[in-house]
Amino acid sequence: MRKPLLRSFSLRALILPALAFALSMFFGGLLIALSDSNVLHKASHPIAFIKAAGASAGNAYLALFQGAIFDPGLAKPHQWYLAFGPLSESLVGAAPLILAGLSVALAFRAGLFNIGAQGQFIFGAMAASYVGFHFHMPIGIHLVVAALAGTLLGSIWGGMVGLLKARTGAHEVIVTIMLNYIALYFLQWILGTTTFLIPGRNDPIAPPVLQSARLPLLAGSNFRLNAGILVAFAVAVFVWWLLNRTTIGFKFRAAGANTFASKTAGISVPFVMTSAMAVAGALAGLAGAVHVLGDNFQLTSGVAGNFGFDAITVALLGRAKPLGTVLASLLFGALGAGAAAMQAKTNTPIDIVLVIQALVVLFIAAPDVVKSIFRLKSLKTAGGLVSKGWNG
Amino acid sequence: MLTPISLSKPGGNLKKSLKVTGVVAAAALAFAGLALAPASQAATPKVCLALDTGGIDDHSFNASAWAGAQTVKSLANVSYVVADANNPDYTGEVNSLVNNKCNLIIGVGFLITSAIDAAAVKNPTINFAQVDDPGLVNGKAIANLRGLTFATNQVGFLSGYLAAGYSKTGTVATYGGINIPPVTIYMDGFAKGAAYYAKINKKTIKVLGWDPADPKTGVFVGDFSSQNKALQITKNFEQQGADVVFPVAGGLELASAQEAAASKKSVVIGVDSDAYGLYPTALHGVWLNSALKGVGASVAAVIKDQAAGKFNNAAYVGTLANGGTGLAGYHDLAAKVPGSLQNAVRALGKAIATGTVSAN
Repeated sequence: MRKPLLRSFSLRALILPALAFALSMFFGGLLIALSDSNVLHKASHPIAFIKAAGASAGNAYLALFQGAIFDPGLAKPHQWYLAFGPLSESLVGAAPLILAGLSVALAFRAGLFNIGAQGQFIFGAMAASYVGFHFHMPIGIHLVVAALAGTLLGSIWGGMVGLLKARTGAHEVIVTIMLNYIALYFLQWILGTTTFLIPGRNDPIAPPVLQSARLPLLAGSNFRLNAGILVAFAVAVFVWWLLNRTTIGFKFRAAGANTFASKTAGISVPFVMTSAMAVAGALAGLAGAVHVLGDNFQLTSGVAGNFGFDAITVALLGRAKPLGTVLASLLFGALGAGAAAMQAKTNTPIDIVLVIQALVVLFIAAPDVVKSIFRLKSLKTAGGLVSKGWNG
Repeated sequence: MLTPISLSKPGGNLKKSLKVTGVVAAAALAFAGLALAPASQAATPKVCLALDTGGIDDHSFNASAWAGAQTVKSLANVSYVVADANNPDYTGEVNSLVNNKCNLIIGVGFLITSAIDAAAVKNPTINFAQVDDPGLVNGKAIANLRGLTFATNQVGFLSGYLAAGYSKTGTVATYGGINIPPVTIYMDGFAKGAAYYAKINKKTIKVLGWDPADPKTGVFVGDFSSQNKALQITKNFEQQGADVVFPVAGGLELASAQEAAASKKSVVIGVDSDAYGLYPTALHGVWLNSALKGVGASVAAVIKDQAAGKFNNAAYVGTLANGGTGLAGYHDLAAKVPGSLQNAVRALGKAIATGTVSAN
């Protein structure tokens, strides 16, 4: 029986994440209020204290919202649309995260835990950057070649893990963690070579990618919003199609559900492992390419930031479904963009946003806590993600 | 597809309704807060610092910049933001300050430079200053951007001379955080100062970690946060006979100091701020001296100009002569450093300040 794209992700599945988010915001608000010295000074007067606490948390969240979605203060005469600048920032932050999150999600569905999105991201960024600044090609072709180079290198870096697991039984968690370090230090080394140094400079920053290889801006030069977000959405649909509408996707899911049964049914598990990791690596590599070609432009040793690990979080949050991963990434992109504004406007430490993100994950991982707080009885939490044991 | 959820079943107990009330009250509080937002009346200029990931307690340039801004807080409304350590998006960080209508934005940290440059070009009505950068965009000065630079090769030169004079093994070492100009300028001075000592005193001094003639190599941690790697580098230096180490890596000097305190094989010269007062007292015996960089003084100077309506784009250069850089003091090791060496270092400092000796 075929399930349509949207209905397969029922509204019910959104209730738990939404409640978890609300709870996290509540506890985050408490933390903001209690870390504000203006609030603590009023501790002796309960009413004034509660008012100050509400003002502190309220202002911080208002700034968070203004930094993530819409800030009327940014509008200028005849340029009201500038107020949507923050939304552009959120989407820019979300695009690489969606792609990297899909990488982890797809591997999850095939029963593999891809901790290596970080390393695959780095190789994708490296390849895209090199093609982007070193070669001269016509507009359009240059972009496609650079993005494909990133995808390919990420795919090789990821596929290698699947091959190692299929051939030798080496556990992908260990292998990907180790390969992350190799990728990071390889990046640091290559940034110091003459190929990647800007002529006349010694600092480890690659030259900016040429204009012809950059993702086109979607909303004019006032915004950083670029076609990367469209690529991310398109790839999310592709991953959904791949998993639910193709033979290979069925094999991925079958192997993810039960390796032994799949083997008995005639599915080549080694092939599935290798190809699933290769596709996952390709997605993370493309994420790195989109980051470099869309908003970062210059390769640095910190180019991957924390994308590869945030990717695991959003994939878990999105229950390893493409649409869920996209929504979780948009949320994280918005929180990331809002955090900067919250810090600038209200001096709330940027780390509060990390606390909120961590709490969301915590509450998602412990659905019974949320259910008991909100007295939800009939909400069945689906089996969700089962991380495979060491012999999986 | 929606299944009904029993948020409140009829006749629910008191405990539950209390919980629900709590949540509602919290939400109400949050919205009450929106109305209570104080309207900001900016009679004094709004000065915003864009700090790097270390934040105001990094024991290094971010801390210095913030301390400097604090000295003039009566003149301006000073605040700061810190780059997200996980995903440092400097463009987004600087944009958040532009959007927050700051009058003067000061970029602290070399890595923020290109974001500050871009914002300065885009926002001609806002003034910008950038620490550790001459303040040029494509080689040209622009009206609303001032560079704050430091001739820290001068204090590096003194440190190298001091290290070479103090060393018993004849081997001294330096390493950096990242291979960027504000780091390597110290290392350059250090290597040249040590060589200068060797030349004057006709001794052989070996400098590990940096060779001014080959700026592409050199020992670098790769970041400013990997204490383990800094510790390993310090151990390697000690094994190669170095007994004075000069880490140019912000807070990573702590790792070198811990190694020095544990092995008793080396002493450490601190960087940027006086390390003696920053770390546990157990480490007091390992700080030979500290090479100071007056980030705070430069930040205070540019804020003063802004408040007086005299912002200009002439680059600030901190030198030994104007107190923008210098040695901190010997503290606990004062008795162990020969008086003749202390005098020689003092004289050399004067010679560099007056231009008789060049640190370049």
